[in-house]
Amino acid sequence: MSRNMGGFLASKRRQRQLITLGRVLVSVLAILYAVFPVLWIASASFDPRNSLAQQRLIPPNASLENYRALLNNPLQPFPRWMLNSIKISLITSILAVLISALAAYAFSRFHFRGRRSLLLTILLVQVFPNFLAMVAIFLLLQQIKNYIPSLGLNTHGGLILVYLGGALGINTWLMKGFFDAVPRDLDESARIDGASDWQVFWRIIFPLVRPILAVVGVLTFIGTYSEVLLASVLLRSKENFTLAVGLWQLIEGQYTQKWGIFAAGALIGAIPIMVLYLIAQDWIIGGLTRGAVKG
Amino acid sequence: MMKQRSLWTLFVVLLIASLLMGACAKATPTPTPIPPTPTPKPPTPTPKPPTPTPIPPTPTPQPPAAKLVIWADENRAPIMEEIAKAFTEKYGVEVEVQQVGFGDIRDQFKVAAPAGEGPDIIIGAHDWLGELVVNGLLAPVDLGAKKDKFLPSALQAFTYNSQLYGMPYLTENVAFFYNPDLVPEAPKTWSEVTKIAAELEKAGKVKQGYVLHQGDPYHFYPIMTAFGGYVFGKDKDGNYNPKDLGIDSPGSIAAAKWLDMMVKEGHLKPDVDWDTAHTMFEQGDAAMIITGPWALKRIRESGVHYKIAEIPDETADGHPFSGVHGFMISAFSENKLLAQTFLTEFVATEENMWKLFNADPRPSAFLPVREKIDDPDIAAFGLAGKNADPMPAIPEMSKVWEAWGNAITLIFQQQEDPETAFKNAAEQIRQAIAGGQ
Amino acid sequence: MQQGTRPHRGFTYSLSAILFRLLGLAVIDAFAVWLLPQIIHDRVWYLVVLLVIITLGINLIFLREEYYPLRWMSPGLALMILMVVYPLLFTVYTAFTNYSDGHLLTKQQVIQVLGQQLYLPEGGESYKWTAYRSEDGQYALWLVSPEGKTFVAYPGRPVQPAVPGQGDIGPADDQGTPTHIGALQRLDRIRVIRYLPDLEKLEFGTPPQVLKIRSLDEAAALQPRYVYDPQQDAIVDRKTGKVYRADDRRGSFVAPDGEELTPGYQVFIGVANFRRLFRSPALRGPFLRVFLWTILFAAGTVFTTFALGLFLALVYNDPHIRGRKIIRSLLIVPYTVPSFISILVWRGLMNPHIGVINTTLEKLIGWAPPWFSSPTWAKIGVLLVNLWLGYPYMMLISTGALQAIPDDLYEAAEIDGAGLWQRFRQITLPLLLISVGPLLISSFAFNFNNWNVIYLFNRGGPPMPGTPTPVGHTDILVTYTYRLAFASGGGGDYGYASAITIIIFLIVATITYFQFRYTRMWEEISENV
Repeated sequence: MSRNMGGFLASKRRQRQLITLGRVLVSVLAILYAVFPVLWIASASFDPRNSLAQQRLIPPNASLENYRALLNNPLQPFPRWMLNSIKISLITSILAVLISALAAYAFSRFHFRGRRSLLLTILLVQVFPNFLAMVAIFLLLQQIKNYIPSLGLNTHGGLILVYLGGALGINTWLMKGFFDAVPRDLDESARIDGASDWQVFWRIIFPLVRPILAVVGVLTFIGTYSEVLLASVLLRSKENFTLAVGLWQLIEGQYTQKWGIFAAGALIGAIPIMVLYLIAQDWIIGGLTRGAVKG
Repeated sequence: MMKQRSLWTLFVVLLIASLLMGACAKATPTPTPIPPTPTPKPPTPTPKPPTPTPIPPTPTPQPPAAKLVIWADENRAPIMEEIAKAFTEKYGVEVEVQQVGFGDIRDQFKVAAPAGEGPDIIIGAHDWLGELVVNGLLAPVDLGAKKDKFLPSALQAFTYNSQLYGMPYLTENVAFFYNPDLVPEAPKTWSEVTKIAAELEKAGKVKQGYVLHQGDPYHFYPIMTAFGGYVFGKDKDGNYNPKDLGIDSPGSIAAAKWLDMMVKEGHLKPDVDWDTAHTMFEQGDAAMIITGPWALKRIRESGVHYKIAEIPDETADGHPFSGVHGFMISAFSENKLLAQTFLTEFVATEENMWKLFNADPRPSAFLPVREKIDDPDIAAFGLAGKNADPMPAIPEMSKVWEAWGNAITLIFQQQEDPETAFKNAAEQIRQAIAGGQ
Repeated sequence: MQQGTRPHRGFTYSLSAILFRLLGLAVIDAFAVWLLPQIIHDRVWYLVVLLVIITLGINLIFLREEYYPLRWMSPGLALMILMVVYPLLFTVYTAFTNYSDGHLLTKQQVIQVLGQQLYLPEGGESYKWTAYRSEDGQYALWLVSPEGKTFVAYPGRPVQPAVPGQGDIGPADDQGTPTHIGALQRLDRIRVIRYLPDLEKLEFGTPPQVLKIRSLDEAAALQPRYVYDPQQDAIVDRKTGKVYRADDRRGSFVAPDGEELTPGYQVFIGVANFRRLFRSPALRGPFLRVFLWTILFAAGTVFTTFALGLFLALVYNDPHIRGRKIIRSLLIVPYTVPSFISILVWRGLMNPHIGVINTTLEKLIGWAPPWFSSPTWAKIGVLLVNLWLGYPYMMLISTGALQAIPDDLYEAAEIDGAGLWQRFRQITLPLLLISVGPLLISSFAFNFNNWNVIYLFNRGGPPMPGTPTPVGHTDILVTYTYRLAFASGGGGDYGYASAITIIIFLIVATITYFQFRYTRMWEEISENV
């Protein structure tokens, strides 16, 4: 008996050791893989030579020149762009999460006729390739501008509105799956206590699905933050640009590519997303869920 | 019971709504926006029978403040803002410069202008002319007395169907750069180039005697002309004739064969891109390169010794494309006269043309400035471009670039022999042109 | 699971709830009713239809019991209809028109634009002018003919010869023109510029001698060059006398000798675009190859990104791992940089001559993949770039979805003696695929049309030799077909591109639909868990 116990313990420990070793190895490789190109961008940002071809990992005359140029250029208000991007993405992701969650709750809890077809239709509609929609959306916002100026062309409100058009979609289905995993007994017991649908949703279910809300929020934030096609068509004045638009213009010029400045901008621009993810991580991992689901 | 209920609720709703409306109506003197001014509906690809609202531009009481909107890319926006501010100070007219990426200006203008959202002036390249004029988007420009102050070929580049549609301000073309430390004298023919390259490579002094980046027809054109090739033939008035495609002409094929030979003998290598090619030249790994004034800054900064010469000839005179940039006025502008006056009175002055030149040194199209440019490099570009062909501005040209570039790439990658490659490209282009309207 | 078809809605029937809803509806309706007349007045029909549909829809949903579930989705649906469904319909409509370069404007706009063109007829007069303006915005012109005769012109009144000092015309000063005309003060060159937009629109004098300002130096009896004759439905060029009849099938004004006026206009052309697509050389060409590669590319992307993303999510799933917050944040880094930047960086890294990847490989093993010249390696290259771009997304959603799997399932399995791999295959994977499956499908659809990566990486190259239209080995359906419509350097046939878009949409939607039907199986399994 004791010999078995000894063998059992030993193998369990070795298993754990192996797993940890494996994990460390994976971490190193994965981080290298993930970060290497970004390291390259970082190195370019410190290289005053502005040429992609001549780059080395450690730039020979490293300097902060690009950063200075980036931040002190009154004609390219980079800090303003950052603020715009953060503001637009934040508002869009919060609203998108709400809109999607409401719909996901309905899909999950109410088994109405045509439920599945509606969801499928929504998903299929969102699959439509959006390139040419550019013209339609442009003209639409231009018209809206005539009646509700704050939501028209060249406004952040208008851009947010356009982004929210995509709020219902695959994220809804993702959320629905999560909502499905929350047992109905919770709903029932709340209802017995006299709660309405809305209260069930807001007080009980919503907090339980925090991880998926955080995931969708982060994804939406990132998606809108780096979106450049619609934003460059709909935003006109420099002060209104988002970060993505500003950076895009820096490198899509004719033969003149301010690669170094562009790299500096990209790097600084990446910070909000990192911060966001760090904050949101807790929610994504959310311990509470597991407890509730068990019950 | 249910039906009654919903009817009743609807009634209540409407009642409340009308009450609210009444309140609102009194509150706001609803400033019904002036009918979306001039533009009787945008190219409203409206999914409704385009009831093209025939609201012609009634001189509705316009707000007195005149304003001009200019679209410029990030290279020119800064200096234009300076110029604009000076104009506002002097004349009291507001001028707004909006920054739009160079590649986006044309496409966005096409949608925005008819929708009434476009600028009054755009700064762009002359080869946009065909596309923009054919869509009725540009207003003719009358330079008045200032006309003779411009380089005639620049004016010609901005002329379409015998109408002037823009005010040029800079011309650019590529020229032949060589490193005098490695190449003592400028080669006169492409055969010489080959010889020099072979010698240098054998002596191990360079990686490539002459470097050309892959797949770029614009930089290949000067070589093509040196062998007698051409893109579109010209008619007796000097206009490009889309029916006469020269990609598979004997001269062009001869140039293609030369290219093929260079690759086969290892003088030219595949997959070299623009940045790499220039880096090689700057680091002395290449002795000769064709490039334009946009590269001057980086070449100068690298410290490499360079000289600028004319394009070498071969069986014919080698000459580059010329690109002319200028100011164009939107046909949908409310302030065409003001825009034109801004250009002729204010921009077309030595002071401002110098400002434009200094911000972005490329040979000015404005003669008083062009003649005084003392930068020998810019002057050399001017010399290299004296026989330059303006890039064809006809709409058919847009069908040429891709196929032509691909043919060059295929030769670089040795995927096809030169004659077939160029003949195929010509076929593709003819099909594309014919397939269009 | 069948309960819930008639959910219990206690609160919903209470008085305050009803009032709340009615008030909300009233506000929305008031807004709509306020907006509608304006839009109708401006004749923006599509907006009218959209507004009516949305408002009626909302009213219906909130007033009728059977649409109760839709109330939860109304904001999302409203936005979707406005921003997605409408552009979709717009594209469908455009596909049946000839909307393209040369035909961007409507017929009315063309008539208007041509009507703005002016010319000076033979024998027309032109003068040098100076402008005068009163406080309340009245204008007058002082004209000097080439012979030196002087005149005064008011808008709408005949041009009169005039001399400085006579009548209410002020005396001439050293500038040669009167200082004032009646109450109107002279505008010097600097001030006149501000008023040019007004002056430009005025017509001075009366017919037959109507003068317009042509430039800073010249006012002339300009006439519209093109006049529209509604009876003939044609445009007459007064300068040359040519008559161009409207050809509503082609969308331009055409003269008897075949000359077309530019610009042309948009017309409805029925299925011509679709016919052109099916007859085009592109479809005869390597269409099948491109189509297959598109599917391969999309599927390959989904598979690799999901595999890597899931793997990483699993590795760090244990809350006891030290530093896992930092590690995960680092792993998400590819997602923090806008994709167009990353693609360009990867392009640089993979450059065969100076890219770090290739130069290092060459040093180590003497060979490096020719990412841009070999068809195979180009395909692998683009998949690798997409892998880097896409795995964080998969990692994120896998992490989220893993949280929903109850621990007790694992515990029970472990007690039963299930190993790591078995637990993964029997518990983790099935449950995960239920929640994440649709996302994989949508990722497939997204990458099917992933124009960005393909174009920015190598513009679809390397080129295929000997094809009827330019094609590259990494071209996917969208890049391939859009080239037909746009060639390079812009210049486009949007109607044609719309038709292409519709076809591609039908293809993707069909594939997606069948994928969803397949996953129906997964959802049924979940009901038994």
